Amino acid sequence: MERVRDSSTDVAAAMAENLGDQGETVHHEKRHKRDMRPASMTLNLTSMIDVVFQLLIYFILTIAFVMGEGIITANLPTGSGVAAESDPLAQKIEIVLSSAGTQGIGYRIRLEGMAEAPTNFTSLAEMLTRFRHDPATNPGGIYDPKETPVIIRPEGDVRWQHVVNAFNAAVTAKFQNVAFASKQE
Amino acid sequence: MSKVHRRGAAKPEMNLTPMIDVTFQLIIFFLLVSNIAQDQLVEMRVPKLDNPRTIEIGEIPKLIISIIPEKATREPGADPLLVPPGAKAIKVGSTDFELGDYDGITEALIDAKEKNPDIEIVLRADSGAYFDVVAPVMQAVTAAKISKLNLTAFLPGEAPD
Repeated sequence: MERVRDSSTDVAAAMAENLGDQGETVHHEKRHKRDMRPASMTLNLTSMIDVVFQLLIYFILTIAFVMGEGIITANLPTGSGVAAESDPLAQKIEIVLSSAGTQGIGYRIRLEGMAEAPTNFTSLAEMLTRFRHDPATNPGGIYDPKETPVIIRPEGDVRWQHVVNAFNAAVTAKFQNVAFASKQE
Repeated sequence: MSKVHRRGAAKPEMNLTPMIDVTFQLIIFFLLVSNIAQDQLVEMRVPKLDNPRTIEIGEIPKLIISIIPEKATREPGADPLLVPPGAKAIKVGSTDFELGDYDGITEALIDAKEKNPDIEIVLRADSGAYFDVVAPVMQAVTAAKISKLNLTAFLPGEAPD
């Protein structure tokens, strides 16, 4: 912008001088050529940087990293999809979940065939740990953690959080054969 | 007019090349990562557990199944479980399935298993969804004879209040 203005001023000045003396024109042109530095090309990057920053801000704001999520590994029984239901005499632990509270967002835990009912998932994990047989720490435990199926049987209107919490309690108690029962008939 | 006067004051110029380089690198990074992240992920709030045993998702060959909730956003201050308990659709990888199309889901899972026999399923469902909504999807996974199912929940200490 500056250069354009400079050159136009120069041209105007030259024209004014030319009006006075036509003979000087050649001399002026020569001097001009000698004084001019080689033309340097510059690219105006401002608009590009504007656009690039807009894009950058857009992507930073819209990016959706899923922070804080993890997984609990579960092994589903392949085949029928119903775990250990065929042999009613086999030892198993069955956790029955039902909904409770306002608008069914609460829960009630019951262990099939046991009088003691845990009130929350921490106490459920403690109970299951107590049942688990471990030669070193809990020789009195009656359930083998590798073999005994722990079946979680939630009612249909139990919220998913409680179901995963029950599963988490069984995993906390180090039971390895944890499965979900199929929908209650 | 002397040469010094005609040239005028010195104009300082900044070399913008490195900045533009870095900016482009950032843009390319965000472009690529956002595509990967948004392709399979659905907005929802996964369960918050008591004493969670969750582990980070490693570099496993995985297929994400998301049960798309009716409403993922929570009212401020309300119980996070107090949301409509149903689902809109089920997303397997990048494909959406209608509710009830469990045979279609099983077929898609069988295809995925044929391509990669070691594939593991990562099941994402909203914490407020009914078990009734999730159970048929688990049965569809079982029907495809995939035994590795990973349930998604918040990692220890990461769950929002």
